[in-house]
Amino acid sequence: MLRAALAVFRKDLRQELRRRVAVNTLVVFALATVLVVYFATVRAPLDGRAHAALLWVIVVFAASVGLGRAFTQEVEQGTDLLLRQHVPPGAVYAGKLLFTLLLTGVLGGVAAGVYVLVVGVGVPEPLLLAATLALGGAGLAAATTLLSALIARAQGGAALLPVLLFPVLVPLLLAAVRLTRAALDGGFGWTGTQDGFVTLGAFLGLVVLGAILLFEYVWDE
Amino acid sequence: MVNVRRYRLVRNIVLATMTAVLLAGMLVPFPRIDDILGQTHRNLFFHVPLWFALMAGMGVSAWHAYRYLKTGDLVHDLRSNEAARVAFAFGLMGIVTGMFWARATWYESAGLWWNNDPKQLMAATQLMVYAAYFVLRGSLDEPVRRARLASAYNLFAAILVPLLLYVVPRQMESLHPGAEGNPAFSNLTAPAMRLVLYPAFATFIGLFWVIYTQRVRIALLERRSEPDL
Repeated sequence: MLRAALAVFRKDLRQELRRRVAVNTLVVFALATVLVVYFATVRAPLDGRAHAALLWVIVVFAASVGLGRAFTQEVEQGTDLLLRQHVPPGAVYAGKLLFTLLLTGVLGGVAAGVYVLVVGVGVPEPLLLAATLALGGAGLAAATTLLSALIARAQGGAALLPVLLFPVLVPLLLAAVRLTRAALDGGFGWTGTQDGFVTLGAFLGLVVLGAILLFEYVWDE
Repeated sequence: MVNVRRYRLVRNIVLATMTAVLLAGMLVPFPRIDDILGQTHRNLFFHVPLWFALMAGMGVSAWHAYRYLKTGDLVHDLRSNEAARVAFAFGLMGIVTGMFWARATWYESAGLWWNNDPKQLMAATQLMVYAAYFVLRGSLDEPVRRARLASAYNLFAAILVPLLLYVVPRQMESLHPGAEGNPAFSNLTAPAMRLVLYPAFATFIGLFWVIYTQRVRIALLERRSEPDL
């Protein structure tokens, strides 16, 4: 099981290193959106709340554009059948999730880093920001992986991902934006953040639970 | 599929009790305890039971989604879809009655219809989730695949509902009764209102059942006349 999951992960990683489609899409999308935000808000005095909201809007939109390829790609190339025959469904999900986590890590790092540099935001609590991006990104990756398997065979699949993804992400976004704001505003440190982290953790746990229970039905033909 | 005699019995009971709830809810003079609420406390008989009916409908929808995944019988998928549609309509009415009520009690002077109260946001989000469910159904042609994927999404949404309705709203400030630091509604209204409220719960859930079974019958007939669909 674990070996199969790692094999799926290695396969995706190798494919990605050859063409670099997903990473390039994510990074360029994030960069372009940060520039758009910068030009749109030039010299507008934004507070930490607005910066936190904008940063997460960028991350979530980039994710819905760039992370949905995991299963559509298999279906387009006709390799999903091979995968289905040789690997148990749980291992497929785990492997794809690992790869999506990697991509989300790159996305979160690039988006937050460039945003902070270009828009010029001070980060008094960098560790808090990093922890929020990590835990929020993990929840985002888990939900995106499950839903991109769901839409792999739907008409207009790519456009469907945000429609399915955004409503279920609301709890995650509320908590992540509040934590990011605390990290950008500073002053209170980590006090009062446990509610947000509990929500992020609960979201991740529930999504993974849902994936464990439902993925075989989504994946089996 | 549907027991017609049972259906007629429930329908007639619902007709009678709904008439009684409407008349009693509008006409019986209840003592006013809270000055802000005034006569709007009568909305209690409609707003709250609508939410109960929504929850019941979502529960029925999720149950049949689960049954579909277990049995592979397409009738369960059809029932899941119809339950979600009727429940969605009840949820819309729940939001609208809530908007009127909130306007009259929370921010009449501000002229607002929407306050971004966590309860409102979460309710709207829940309806968005089910709207996405309908979009997903629309984009899948093949009945078996549509049933499988839609059921999976339905259950995925049902798993996240507790987070939406109970965890997140408790972390935000709310004006809604029963939220953190607010009195429960029973402290603001006359005890006699329970005599109408409790039958209203059963009546609205009964109304959901009547519309839902009727829609299932229509859908079954449509499927019989066009077996390929």
